[in-house]
Amino acid sequence: MYQYTEFDRQFVHQRAAQYRDQLERNLAGTLGEDEFRPLRLQNGWYVQRHAPMLRIAVPYGEISSKQVRALARIAREYDRGYAHFTTRQNCQFNWIPLDRSADVMDLLADVDMHGIQTSGNCIRNITSDGHAGIAPDEAVDPRPYAELLRQWSTLHPEFAFLPRKFKIAITGAAEDRAAIAWHDIGLQLKKNAAGEIGFKVLVGGGMGRTPIVGTEVRDFLPWQQILVFIEAVVRVYNRYGRRDNMYKARIKILVKAEGQKFIDAVNAEFKNILEHDVDGTAHLLPQAEFDRVAKGFALPAGVTEHVAATTQHFDAPIAFARWLERNVHAHQLAGYRAVTLSLKRAGQAPGDATADQLDAAAAIADRFSHGELRVTHDQNLLLPWVHESDLQALWKAARDASFATPNIGLLTDMIACPGGDFCALANARSIPIAEEITQRFAEIDELYDIGDIDLHISGCINSCGHHHSGHIGILGVDKDGKEWYQVSLGGSDGSTISGNSVAGKVIGPSFAADEVADVIEALIDTYRDQRDPRELFIDTVRRVGLEPFKASANNVRRSTALVQAG
Amino acid sequence: MQFIDSNLDPWQAAGSDDAPDAPVQPEANLLLDLDQWRSLRADWPAGLPVGLKLANNADIEDIAADLPRFAVIALHFPKWIDGRAYSQAHLLRARYRFAGEVRATGDVVVDMLPLLQRSGFDAVVLRGDQSIDAAKRALGFFPSYYQGDVRVTRPHFGRVAA
Repeated sequence: MYQYTEFDRQFVHQRAAQYRDQLERNLAGTLGEDEFRPLRLQNGWYVQRHAPMLRIAVPYGEISSKQVRALARIAREYDRGYAHFTTRQNCQFNWIPLDRSADVMDLLADVDMHGIQTSGNCIRNITSDGHAGIAPDEAVDPRPYAELLRQWSTLHPEFAFLPRKFKIAITGAAEDRAAIAWHDIGLQLKKNAAGEIGFKVLVGGGMGRTPIVGTEVRDFLPWQQILVFIEAVVRVYNRYGRRDNMYKARIKILVKAEGQKFIDAVNAEFKNILEHDVDGTAHLLPQAEFDRVAKGFALPAGVTEHVAATTQHFDAPIAFARWLERNVHAHQLAGYRAVTLSLKRAGQAPGDATADQLDAAAAIADRFSHGELRVTHDQNLLLPWVHESDLQALWKAARDASFATPNIGLLTDMIACPGGDFCALANARSIPIAEEITQRFAEIDELYDIGDIDLHISGCINSCGHHHSGHIGILGVDKDGKEWYQVSLGGSDGSTISGNSVAGKVIGPSFAADEVADVIEALIDTYRDQRDPRELFIDTVRRVGLEPFKASANNVRRSTALVQAG
Repeated sequence: MQFIDSNLDPWQAAGSDDAPDAPVQPEANLLLDLDQWRSLRADWPAGLPVGLKLANNADIEDIAADLPRFAVIALHFPKWIDGRAYSQAHLLRARYRFAGEVRATGDVVVDMLPLLQRSGFDAVVLRGDQSIDAAKRALGFFPSYYQGDVRVTRPHFGRVAA
């Protein structure tokens, strides 16, 4: 993975020192709350229900065992013993007192980490494919480009106070594991007929109140031009994006309102930068700079392609076979596998890990994956460099540390935001809903019978739990101070099994909290009744339409049945 | 970075509060808004120093031809978290090579200083409650940055390689 240079290292320490100055002015009363708020947000500090929440950047999901141990230490010494991984590959804490926040930033800087631009109306942490650099279906490794974008976007002086937040996702694989069409800018690396590398560029995707899939503005942008092109996009957005209504301030609204005029404006701005600006070509990427950054993504020492001795696990328990099937993934290099450590199990919120589990994950990564891990978009950890011959030993270690639930891609591998238990924005809680569904579908044979399915839960319309893109989406809403849940069907994150990115459709009035698990069960039962052989849940929804699902969901209404009847 | 004390500032807005619509007569060191400038530009004597106040939704492209005539352009922050004027300053400097003073006015707070300096501002009128000492300290945390800006046009990689 990328190794910080002396410049990178000094930079995060300087940022920590700047933050400490701001915090001290705030605590001394010379920096008011209104001024401090945007500053702390751009360092990852929200003020939440119980305490500040800290969001730490894990750029494009790559993290080392040393960094995971630092997170464990922060969980133990500053928080209440656990951390939460998010769909944007970040890591969150919920209980750190604000007056200790600058100390935590120093600790993070010591292990090359920070919270820069993990919140606020700026260019956020760049996300990518959790399998970047190891996926067999990859045309181009996106990590060097993601790192170049990270550096370019970090403390950009012109784009720190945009109309609204700005998210960039990048992939280089055939399978979209980064949901790029749902981002403000989605980048797909590809090779043209001549073998040259470039980007398909999508602009204006996003969830929230108005889910919109990104519009293609370039089919093939030569890679050297990517920083300049994004500068053009963001400048047009900064100048003309709406600021009168925060719900209409994302770039998706501008792209939708202006259509081709927006694309023309971006292309004109791009041309102007290159032809007219002082040193306007200085941000065209030279090969030497690409090579310098790409060196950081060389194979870890000792990783070499090899033909693994065929290992038959005749005496292995069925749980191991299931784990091989669900949690072990193909790799670019012969002899290697990628392995998911599942953070989805009963008794813990999706994406949560305790300090001890973090330490265990770090130890497992040291033993089996050259000290490297990934945080995935679906809120799990992934080991990128596992020797095929180590799989059984890894399975035992993962099982002992509670990471071996063989449920990757299945119903209980759901995406969920922290919801109303922690988040001050949330209208309703996500975690109890996730827990009830996890318990309801604890039977592993049943999960296998249901097969691949994306269940996404958001506690409010901000959509951190990506409910729009779930095959089943659950959205918490607030009416009369009570928690209600809207259920939608047929959404797609753009993966192969889900089809083209699209928002799901709501299946009727909101359900009461105590009805939701029954509704999910009813939807699953309907699928099992109606499915053709080998059909996944999403296929059946597309084929038979919403009506049979609506009917079965309405059948399990109790308190909301009365409301409907009335 | 120049910190402007409004009491000592030679540049004064044209028109008086008592008679905002009274016609403006050309005189040295007036800061005109865009409408005032447009009504006076044909008659403004060459060599008489004039400045322009721009709202943050004005297009720099529209005044490009007049830029050499202004000694000062004041860009406005209605709220400090409204970042449009950074792009205006960038365009003034990087695209149109405006060489006069670019000053920040309005809700200007100390933590904006690094951004202002890097996107082309060379003067600020701080909000009344802001401390010049804190503003100067805010300029000192980072000796250099990754991306190029108006002041240091080449990115870090371009400077290291050079």
